Amino acid sequence: MTAAVLIGYVMVPLFGVVLWIVPLVTRPTLQFGVRVPPAYLTAPVLRRERRNFQWRSAIIAICATAAVIAVGSRAAWISRLVEIAANLGCFWWAHQRIEKVKSAEGWFAGQRQTVVADTSWRTEPQRFPIGWLVPAVAVIVTTVIIGILRYPHLPPYLASGGRQVATSPVTAFAGIAGQIYVTGIGTGLLLLVYRSRPDLDTADPAASLRGYRTALGAVARALLILFACIDLTLLLSALRLWEVYHLPGGTALLVLPVALGLVAFFATLVRAARKRAGATDAASATDRDDDRFWKGGLVYVNRDDPAVLVTARFAFGWTVNLGNPTAWLLIAGVLAVPVGLVIIKLATGT
Amino acid sequence: MLLSIEPDGPVPIYQQIRDRIVEAIATGEAPVGSGLPATRQLAVDLGINFHTVNKGYDLLRQEGLLRIGRKAGAVVSRDATSGPPGPDWEAGWATRLRTMLAEATAQGLPAAEIIRHCRDVVAGFPSTSDGDPS
Repeated sequence: MTAAVLIGYVMVPLFGVVLWIVPLVTRPTLQFGVRVPPAYLTAPVLRRERRNFQWRSAIIAICATAAVIAVGSRAAWISRLVEIAANLGCFWWAHQRIEKVKSAEGWFAGQRQTVVADTSWRTEPQRFPIGWLVPAVAVIVTTVIIGILRYPHLPPYLASGGRQVATSPVTAFAGIAGQIYVTGIGTGLLLLVYRSRPDLDTADPAASLRGYRTALGAVARALLILFACIDLTLLLSALRLWEVYHLPGGTALLVLPVALGLVAFFATLVRAARKRAGATDAASATDRDDDRFWKGGLVYVNRDDPAVLVTARFAFGWTVNLGNPTAWLLIAGVLAVPVGLVIIKLATGT
Repeated sequence: MLLSIEPDGPVPIYQQIRDRIVEAIATGEAPVGSGLPATRQLAVDLGINFHTVNKGYDLLRQEGLLRIGRKAGAVVSRDATSGPPGPDWEAGWATRLRTMLAEATAQGLPAAEIIRHCRDVVAGFPSTSDGDPS
């Protein structure tokens, strides 16, 4: 068994663990995408649905892992997809159950609902950890330099993905384009996040902003390192394409940086989310019941909200406001390059 | 400064924004020269239309409390240290205060209670505590 196959096996239970944990590490007042007023934090339906989700998600993870072991690592990505879809289903199920009880019992009836902004978020903006971008840029620059030095000595045909392709700048430097795309788009989105609305808790806005700043910094650093890891994997695969090295277990070496980066990123994410979940919801004020803008507790659509990116309702992350046309432009921008490449590929038949 | 608003409350949102900023200026939380977020930024942070924030800022500008420059953005231009207001302003404010006090009287709140509330509020504003309100 090569290490690549091993990683294929390991990723399924790893995803299982992440999908099991992530919806559970959330603010007490946001359970499965449902806004809960502080007075109802101990509602039995919340405990029951959390426990049921834990069970269902654990069973899904075990089944997916068993399927991979039985069928082999070829089924790994299908298992992962099924795993994600099944977990989303469980999330949605819990969401519906809580929502039903909430509207039946009128949890928000008569509550003063507030939205809070801390102006210091804008007047003393958080500094982007630009220094942590250095590893990713260094890897890209290294790749470019090696590529330029190596290009005159390349054979007329390159072995790309098990096929022979004619050597040209496009075929030889595709990896560099990939590096620039991942790092560029990723950093751009992260910069947007730094300008977006922070996630504040009405009960204690100042403390929650401090927590948000710390968590954002940690997640941003982990993400920039993940970009460097992805760039490193692309560098290693470019080196193999350019016939700089031949290793029998080469593929394992290739995916190792990405796998390590992903593990570190998920760990940071869960830690950040756990910290936020642990913050006190000391019930002096109630957040606004904005469930009507969250479809299925996951997708945000609010035409009256000028925000493009908003914090997601579980774990620690962001999602787009589909009610804002700029968000659609953003999605189009991110997808333009991969979709364009596929179209060019189909059109030219290469 | 914390800006807490009730989007679904009975008071218009622009009025709530204006009121919260006036209160922050009075408590010394937003002294002369302190900057406020740009209208678009505050609109994003509160999840409301940016014209609403603009309207709130414009009220403050008309009252002389806020200066809105193209480069510097919105800056607090007046607070308790800036000296007494003009007689025109005081007359307008007295009219509004009369309505507020009339509300309490109409609801049957004793005069002593009304005065106590007024004293407590004014005592909460640091820079006015030198003049004894009693």
